[in-house]
Amino acid sequence: MDRSEIDLTAELALLDMDSDERDRLERGVLELLEYFAAMNAVDIRGLEPTTHALQEGNRLRPDDPRTDPSIADDILEQAPDLEDRFIAIPNVL
Amino acid sequence: MRASSPERWQQVLANSAYADALRSRDSSINAFLEIDTDRRHSHGDGTSPAAAGPLAALPLAVKDNIAVRGFGLTCGSRILANHISPYDATVVARLVAAGMVPVGKTNLDEFGMGSATEHSIAGPTNNPWDADRVAGGSSGGSAAAVAAGMVPLALGTDTGGSVRQPAAFCGIYGLKPTYGTLSRYGLVAYASSLEVAGLLSRDLAILRAAYEAASGADVMDQTSVSLPDAASRPSDEVRRVAFLGGELGLDQRTAAAYRRMRDVVAATGAAVEDIELVTAEAVVPAYYTIAAAEASANLARFNGVRYGERPVFAENPEALVRQARTEGFGDEVKLRILLGTYVLRSGFQEQYYQRAQRVRTAIRRELASVFARHDLLVLPVYPTAAFRHGEAELTAFQQKLADRFTTLANLAALPALSVPGGVCDGLPVGIQAIGPAFSEARLMRFAELAAAELPPQRPPGYEIELCDEVIPGGRT
Amino acid sequence: MSYRSFVGLEIHIQLATRTKVFCGCRAAFGDEPNTNICPVCAGYPGALPALNEDAMLKSYVVARALNCRLSPVCEFERKNYFYPDLPKNYQISQFAAPLGRDGYLDLEFRRRRKRVRIRECHLEEDAGKMIHAGDQSLLDFNRAGTPLLEIVTEPDLEIGEEAEHLLQEFRRLVRYLGVCDGNMEEGSLRCDANVSVNEERAGLGTKVEIKNMNSFRFVRKALDYEIDRQQDILGRGGTIVQETRLWNENRDVSESMRVKESSNDYRYFPEPDLPPFQTDDAFLAAVESSLVELPPERTARFVSQYELQPAQASFLCDERGSADFFEAAVAAGAQPSDAAVWLMGDVQKLLNRSGTQLTGSPLTPERLAELLVLLATGRIHGKLAKQTLEAVFTDDMDPRQIIAERGWEQITDPAAIGKIVDAVLTEQHEAVAQIRSGDSRPHGYLVGQVMRATSGRADPRLVQRVLEERLALQFIQVLGFGGAISGSRREDGVVVPGSLESLIRSLRGDPALPADIRYDELDLGGFLSEEVSPRDWALLIHAIARHAATGDTSGIVIATGTDTLSYTAALLSWLFGASLPIVLTASATTGDTAESRESLRHAVQTAVSSAPGVSVVFGAERYPAVNLKFERVPGESGEGAFRTWNRHGVPEPRVGLWTSFQGSSGTQDLSGSAPDIPDAQMLAGRLEDAARRIFVTKVFPGMSAQALVALIDAGVRYFVLELYDTGTASVRETPFSLRHALEYGHRHDVTFFCTSQQEADVDFSTYVTSHDLWRGGAIPMGTLTTESVYTRLLAVLLTGVAGDGSDPDAVAHIMESG
Repeated sequence: MDRSEIDLTAELALLDMDSDERDRLERGVLELLEYFAAMNAVDIRGLEPTTHALQEGNRLRPDDPRTDPSIADDILEQAPDLEDRFIAIPNVL
Repeated sequence: MRASSPERWQQVLANSAYADALRSRDSSINAFLEIDTDRRHSHGDGTSPAAAGPLAALPLAVKDNIAVRGFGLTCGSRILANHISPYDATVVARLVAAGMVPVGKTNLDEFGMGSATEHSIAGPTNNPWDADRVAGGSSGGSAAAVAAGMVPLALGTDTGGSVRQPAAFCGIYGLKPTYGTLSRYGLVAYASSLEVAGLLSRDLAILRAAYEAASGADVMDQTSVSLPDAASRPSDEVRRVAFLGGELGLDQRTAAAYRRMRDVVAATGAAVEDIELVTAEAVVPAYYTIAAAEASANLARFNGVRYGERPVFAENPEALVRQARTEGFGDEVKLRILLGTYVLRSGFQEQYYQRAQRVRTAIRRELASVFARHDLLVLPVYPTAAFRHGEAELTAFQQKLADRFTTLANLAALPALSVPGGVCDGLPVGIQAIGPAFSEARLMRFAELAAAELPPQRPPGYEIELCDEVIPGGRT
Repeated sequence: MSYRSFVGLEIHIQLATRTKVFCGCRAAFGDEPNTNICPVCAGYPGALPALNEDAMLKSYVVARALNCRLSPVCEFERKNYFYPDLPKNYQISQFAAPLGRDGYLDLEFRRRRKRVRIRECHLEEDAGKMIHAGDQSLLDFNRAGTPLLEIVTEPDLEIGEEAEHLLQEFRRLVRYLGVCDGNMEEGSLRCDANVSVNEERAGLGTKVEIKNMNSFRFVRKALDYEIDRQQDILGRGGTIVQETRLWNENRDVSESMRVKESSNDYRYFPEPDLPPFQTDDAFLAAVESSLVELPPERTARFVSQYELQPAQASFLCDERGSADFFEAAVAAGAQPSDAAVWLMGDVQKLLNRSGTQLTGSPLTPERLAELLVLLATGRIHGKLAKQTLEAVFTDDMDPRQIIAERGWEQITDPAAIGKIVDAVLTEQHEAVAQIRSGDSRPHGYLVGQVMRATSGRADPRLVQRVLEERLALQFIQVLGFGGAISGSRREDGVVVPGSLESLIRSLRGDPALPADIRYDELDLGGFLSEEVSPRDWALLIHAIARHAATGDTSGIVIATGTDTLSYTAALLSWLFGASLPIVLTASATTGDTAESRESLRHAVQTAVSSAPGVSVVFGAERYPAVNLKFERVPGESGEGAFRTWNRHGVPEPRVGLWTSFQGSSGTQDLSGSAPDIPDAQMLAGRLEDAARRIFVTKVFPGMSAQALVALIDAGVRYFVLELYDTGTASVRETPFSLRHALEYGHRHDVTFFCTSQQEADVDFSTYVTSHDLWRGGAIPMGTLTTESVYTRLLAVLLTGVAGDGSDPDAVAHIMESG
């Protein structure tokens, strides 16, 4: 893994790291990636990937509105900052 | 000492001493993040007609990555330190409908990522058998609460062994059901395709009743499944039992318990055969690749915008989100997010994530061939018994390698039950059985067979369960 | 250098489901912020998506209507990126296995048919909304989780206008299917695009993505801007940078959007929370049964089944609601042609006035049918029918009930009307005497008196007939409108303007004509037809409109000159359609010849005997009013000097644009005495204005683009370009080609309507230069002649049916729908 790869990966994950943390995490990631090479020993030719291990055909929800009038307010109660009914976040242009 | 009966547990909430006793007992274990035995008003009081069954009025401990309305939902993470859930997980709602009463939220590794219940904002949970040792993880709080006699049943989640391993470390039963039979709605997702809610108890009857009450398809979770009718479910016969053979790298306690279990099973008249798995070495790599990949997306929702902790000051949305995540997540979580992000990146996805998905298919196929010839596969839960706090005995990396026995069932979506395998040198050892899909009844039958020789034991100092302690005449 | 442009669209539509795609929250626009939210769509810890079956059905229905291959299995995936309005910070979408692929949409734009390929359709969830306020951003998650179907086209489009047209066709399609209301302003229909330009035959160029096009108009402007921009860069030898640009609607430019390199990796992977969706027979049957007859097929059927004109059919079929309404009205007994005329005319006018929709209005198909049957069976006359229609809208009652309660039933008893007419004639003996002396002008006054005496309830035709019987008169209005036919030859042989009076006198007592016909000349001033000015046309139009409104004449004959007859005839036809018989005639010689007399006599005969509509009589021949060419053949004395071009494609308008005249109050005095028609001065002003904005020219080798640019700078906004053949002109990179003028015009909202110097069908499909014209935004006018196109443009601008003429799209739309 290229040294800059960890930084690019952290950018995608929106995580900041100081240099200690960066080294520690990079070591941890590298250690696991090397270990993952063990997967190369398995013969996967012709195998479909498993995305859903146990699948029971179609699952669909009827298009009926839910009626729980209080849930929206309960959710707003958890918001760190509100402006009327808007959830507010700082944005100094 | 005598075994407490479910009937006594059903009376405990009526006794005002229970809450204090619970807090008092937890002070040395730290199994709970939150205790509130009076929340029953919002969750039924166990007297409704629907709640007259075996679970009526039983206290329930819930791992803190499972939503219970009105309780916190911290997931052991700083980023959710003050989050209160506005809704119930389906499994909780179903157990409540059956009469159970949530009394508290239990400690865990942050977002379920760990094997020791040490990576938590609430600090580590201690093993009731030895406070210097870990309770296992990530459902360590739930396992310790049951093992220490504080509740008769606890809910956990099992993504790669997080119910079975702490159950084994604490000497109780831990059921990881067939994927989808317990709804994931309300479980804070770590690795969606692998995990399932699990049940921890010392009492097989309560475990069985809770599984029956909580299982079945849920409209809120479209990966949930309904149980096949009894006729098309696997029988509960335990006649042909495979034991995982070969060099397993077990510590002395575990090796001894594993041999003992083999003898116990053989003594029941079942045909016992040792087998090996060719995919064994790839199990943990495939598991961590997939789990980390899914986690990297599942944990993206935590950004301090709609709920959760956010920095006091930020200039713009991106700075807010960066800081919220950087300050809100612990090291292990960040490691897995980075790992998961990496294995999904274009250019690397094929080599890691997509390969892991195919390896997963190979593993499922190999297990399917095992169950074509055997009723059950028995194997250790973990290579060691409960280890000491910190990384002195097992580094974080070694702890991951040690998931090699448990992650198998998660990759294959199969049910597995960790059963007490006796106490060796002061510590309990758990042995697990894996069965084909929907074979939970067979796993419980296996547990009963084992219990005849190796009944669950109580940790020293916790011989008396709380229901017997607080209800007059309980002690004998 | 010749360039090709490639435009592909990414269209998003919000599906009109009751609930969101993955949760039971209402999917509604305009509610209070954060009211339609729940743990699922707010991205709460532990919440899981649950797929809405109706979203899946509607998605497959769209894919099917777009002729896609329907995937037997489609899978959802997570598209990972951080944005504050995206609750989970991943969007559930489809990537490797979308629900539909490889479809197409057939498009006809400016007579160029094309199959635009659809690459794929996939279902995803919408994000919330973020608005900026002061030093913070405010988030509303009501929209989060609304089902969003994305349709991706191949880069088969070439210009902004065409992309806009596709988008409008697509909007019509989804509205027909009932899966989306297609409202770009509210964001239920959204469009991004990718644009590349390259040298001819060099394949695709570097792709630039354009976003933030929030209306159909902005789509066109932004894409044309981008094509121009890339062409300019390439023309200067530059290279195109691959980027995303945002359309700035305030500045009419696009601006580069800086994006971080790292945010381009979306790390798609299968959504573990949703099992793949598999179609089964029941589902596919539900898809089929949700399909409806789509606009192109329905329009064609309306033409063949109900014998409607293409313009009527396409008006009715524009909305499923109006097409359904029409068919329901026909099923309830209305004559198809009547229903079409009323729906396009009076009904539409009332809807426009009240700003309401047809569906849900008090007018039901049954009520319209009832009204039209009452009208057709003579229970009410036209004016009362209009009044009854208004009453239906205001009072929400059945027509039958309205006329019964208000006593509006028409008086159709000839005896009753005869009595009233006799009373009026007795009272108005002076007017009667005037008429009997040969001056028919008081006729309209008498009709008005009879109508007043019956409170407007008398059948006007019957009144007319009874009056004619009583006075033994049938009125044909002859209008002199210049031309040799009313002129005379001076001694030096020069033709000078004159009067028709002697010619008309000579026809009096003509045994070949009915004895009871009288003439009434309205002299519009002595001029020859080549001297016609917009002001003269205005006077003519005003006179016709007045006669049409009072109903005081059975027909109108217009005597004019051959030079401009093809213009005047077409103009009147576009304006008045089939409101009453209007016959234009002319003569190659002066009024004192036998030939002139014969033409006029034939015209009068035609006006008396023919059905309403505008036609031309020249010598013994009769022609339709549109597409007439005056082609004098030397040696022959005018016989056969008119010819109709493209005879089989000539429209004969039934409903004239005059009925849609914008600007008059539109109400009419029921007494019949003072019809409300626009003032002649006002008409003249409008026509002059229109004429100033139009320029007609043939293209010719050596035509200077700079000259056309000068005309544009001088205020010309509409050109009628007569091209060489089926649509060819020089568009080479030289000062003597159309290229620069087209580009300059494009930037100044100038429209180029193209006709041919030959008798040809201009459709831009044959030559590479015609393709360049098409790309340049020129509009081929098919089989219409230059005269027909120019006068139609005048009629459109005069009547204001396309607004004040400043919106070139509205004008082009009406021009093309002729």
